Amino acid sequence: MVRMASSFPEEVLEHVFSFIQNDKDRNSISLVCKSWYEIERWCRRRIFVGNCYAVSPAMVVRRFPDVRSVELKGKPHFADFDLVPKGWGGYVSPWIDAMSTAYPWLEEIRLKRMVVSDEALELIAKSFKNFKVLVLFSCEGFSTDGLASIAANCRNLRELDLRESEVEDLSGHWLSHFPDTFTSLVSLNISCLRSEVSFSALERLVGRCPNLKKLRLNQAVPLESLADLLQRAPQLVELGTGAYSAELRPDVLSNLSGALTGCQQLKSLSGFWDVVPSYLPVLYPICSRLISLNLSDAVIQNPDLLKLVTQCQSLQRFWVLDCIEDTGLEALGEFCKDLQELRVFPSDPFGEEPNVSLTERGLVAVSQGCPKLQSVLYFCRQMSNAALVTIARNRPNMTRFRLCIIEPRAPDYLTQQPLDFGFGAIVEHCKDLRRLSLSGFLTDRVFEYIGTYAKKLEMLSVAFAGESDLGLHHVMSGCENLRKLEIRDCPFGDKALLANATKLETMRSLWMSSCSVSFGACKLLGQKMPRLNVEVIEERGPPDSRPDSYHVEKLYMYRTVAGPRNDMPGFVWTMDEDAAFSIS
Amino acid sequence: MSEVDMAVIKPEMMKSYVWLQTTDGSIQQVEQEVAMFCPFICHEVLQKGMGSSKSYAICLPQRVNPAMLSLVLDYCRFHQVPGRSNKERKSFDEKFIRMDTKRLCELTSAADSLQLKPLVDLTSRALARIIEGKTPEEIREIFHLPDDLTEEEKLEPLKNTTDDPRIRLLNRLYAKKRKELREREKLKIVEAEEERVDDRSVDELLSFINGGNGDSKVLKTSKNKKKRRRRKDQQKNASHSEVAETDERESNGLHPMCHDTELDDEFRPSSSGASKLQDGEDDIFAPKVEFDDVDDEIDPALKEKIDREVEDFARRLNSVWPERMQELLSFGQERRPVHFAVNGNGTLRRCGSAEQK
Repeated sequence: MVRMASSFPEEVLEHVFSFIQNDKDRNSISLVCKSWYEIERWCRRRIFVGNCYAVSPAMVVRRFPDVRSVELKGKPHFADFDLVPKGWGGYVSPWIDAMSTAYPWLEEIRLKRMVVSDEALELIAKSFKNFKVLVLFSCEGFSTDGLASIAANCRNLRELDLRESEVEDLSGHWLSHFPDTFTSLVSLNISCLRSEVSFSALERLVGRCPNLKKLRLNQAVPLESLADLLQRAPQLVELGTGAYSAELRPDVLSNLSGALTGCQQLKSLSGFWDVVPSYLPVLYPICSRLISLNLSDAVIQNPDLLKLVTQCQSLQRFWVLDCIEDTGLEALGEFCKDLQELRVFPSDPFGEEPNVSLTERGLVAVSQGCPKLQSVLYFCRQMSNAALVTIARNRPNMTRFRLCIIEPRAPDYLTQQPLDFGFGAIVEHCKDLRRLSLSGFLTDRVFEYIGTYAKKLEMLSVAFAGESDLGLHHVMSGCENLRKLEIRDCPFGDKALLANATKLETMRSLWMSSCSVSFGACKLLGQKMPRLNVEVIEERGPPDSRPDSYHVEKLYMYRTVAGPRNDMPGFVWTMDEDAAFSIS
Repeated sequence: MSEVDMAVIKPEMMKSYVWLQTTDGSIQQVEQEVAMFCPFICHEVLQKGMGSSKSYAICLPQRVNPAMLSLVLDYCRFHQVPGRSNKERKSFDEKFIRMDTKRLCELTSAADSLQLKPLVDLTSRALARIIEGKTPEEIREIFHLPDDLTEEEKLEPLKNTTDDPRIRLLNRLYAKKRKELREREKLKIVEAEEERVDDRSVDELLSFINGGNGDSKVLKTSKNKKKRRRRKDQQKNASHSEVAETDERESNGLHPMCHDTELDDEFRPSSSGASKLQDGEDDIFAPKVEFDDVDDEIDPALKEKIDREVEDFARRLNSVWPERMQELLSFGQERRPVHFAVNGNGTLRRCGSAEQK
């Protein structure tokens, strides 16, 4: 048998690889044999690093000499819930420093939950001549000055997306730094900016970029000005409005109406802060075309909301506040047969009593009516096992299911039983479930179900659940594809962790806060598992001034080939092999 | 009837033919319009005037055997006809491409040598689809490729293979023991001599270890730990932060010197022969300054424990070292050529693509 390697020239193999861009496949290719590894690394153009501390910039740059697109993630997911103290880490600068010299042809940088400084933005602006895409998702640490550098220097910029980032608003004039000759913009998302941007600069920018397809404005852009912008960009596909309120004036109404109908390609809407319902009818003519509608910032009550939703019969993705209530969701199930993703957010999460009539019935109705529904994020105040079983049976094609019952440890409201059985049904029926968030009153039983059935599960979020280490053990020993596990306020301790220590190296990360893991166990894990960074977050003083038996406040463990990180703040302690030898 | 006779009876049958010869020596004639669809053949005919008769048959590249030539010509025969619709062509391609993987590889190779880009693309895409979604083992099986990456390489191929947890632990124990012995015999002048006299067996063992993780690793103390913990966010430039990173790794013993040596090797591709083994050994005997920074107190009980563990480790390591060394030696030799071969090509290609920008 002639071996392929010997008769197949490298350039041809490289050409074959050029048709394979999926990260997982590229990783598989690189592990086939030495020659494929070498060929693959030279032609890899896109890198995804799910945990920026899992590998060092030097290693990446050394292995992949010619990368054009980089995606990095920094802080753990629970940072979104303020569980990660400020200053924890996730700094992008070492990466930008390394790439500024190694990848002069870099075109795309996508960051999530990272700390980005103005200096880093400046370095990006000056180092990459062909820079095209900058996405800063949930990032912080930079100001509008950094954005001005990007605007001024990136002549070929196509995408600038700041979604959900925290930006220090020093001046709204950063937009004017885009030179008059700059016309390549395709996507602009400034929805997170709190203060005004220079409107005239925005108008001119929108007007001279003929390929602008996505425009998400911030709240400060008044409704009266929206028509102006839309008239300059009738080719828009995605629009995020600014504030959706104005005095009811017929001229504004008709201008807006005309401008919207002029946007024949518009398929996605978002924004809608401070909605004045009388302006909703201007949307009706375009509703039937919409595939994505994000009303999570819009306080709209029924019947206005209902009227809007029932016209969006092509809807595939829908984000909304719980003001939609069960009735609205029932209508959704009736009219929006193409729905794939639903997210229902709480309008008053801290209120004692429910302010809207949204219960488990709404979700059941959608699961019944929408055959393509596969991704759910649902905040509610009551749930029952029966409802969960029905949902599971209705939608075995579910891939992401995140249920957030607002009150911790809330049982099945009908039977007062734990919700173990309901969630068990979800994992049993939904065989392709990749992501699951649990809530409500749950015993170790639910984890037994998860460990038994959730074989494709990649990410699990747990809060206020379980009774003993057995729960954690079931998950860690049973879920073969588990990559990310985040746990808070659960009575899980050392035993399950230590018994499943080797599992930790097969996962991206584990977060445990307010659980019962001892300092001694952390040290032991850090010592025994060299390819794991075991970090203890302890804001109450050094952990080694206490007995080994004390329970750590927060624990973040992640696999890495880069060793312990060198940018930890004072409240993060790393447990490494020397922990056992340290003289305390 | 001869060819000429045929031409008289049916003039339209008098087509032009191109003569092609494959590496097995066989020669055949192919309709000109079909053969000329291949850029390679086209070039031979137009630039070199070859192919007009049997004695001037065009010698096809080695990767084109008769079976492959037949397939390529089938492809050309169909596609060179001008009138066909895209749908027809696509349909033909889909059926054409259905063959076993081995033939597909051969065909890709043949098409590439004949510079027939559309066919290269077609076959490459088909191969890509075969590769997609498969595990490395499955891919290896399908293409009959060797499983020649070591376990360490599979994990993080650029990590030094001697970064074995047992070795690192052993090294730290040795470092501690050596230090306390030095303390005891402070009055002796030459460090290296002293080490050799006292720890001959230990050092012999260490010198087997690829990359010599000898003295360079300072035992982590509470002082160093604090230094590392309190290190603030550094927004330094590239070289500085790299150095900082390396320093950090040295001082906590996680990434021994040879890892940095590897770094050096990568940045100096001209360092041809220097194997990691040699570089490593040099490091063992280089004097280390950091030792003095470290806290000194080691209580006797701990020292006893260390002594015992050191012996124990030495014994255990000794027993697996012969096999390990074989592995390391063969790894050290095999890897270089592959790297440089591709490096050579890769560098050239890289420069090329940069210029195109």
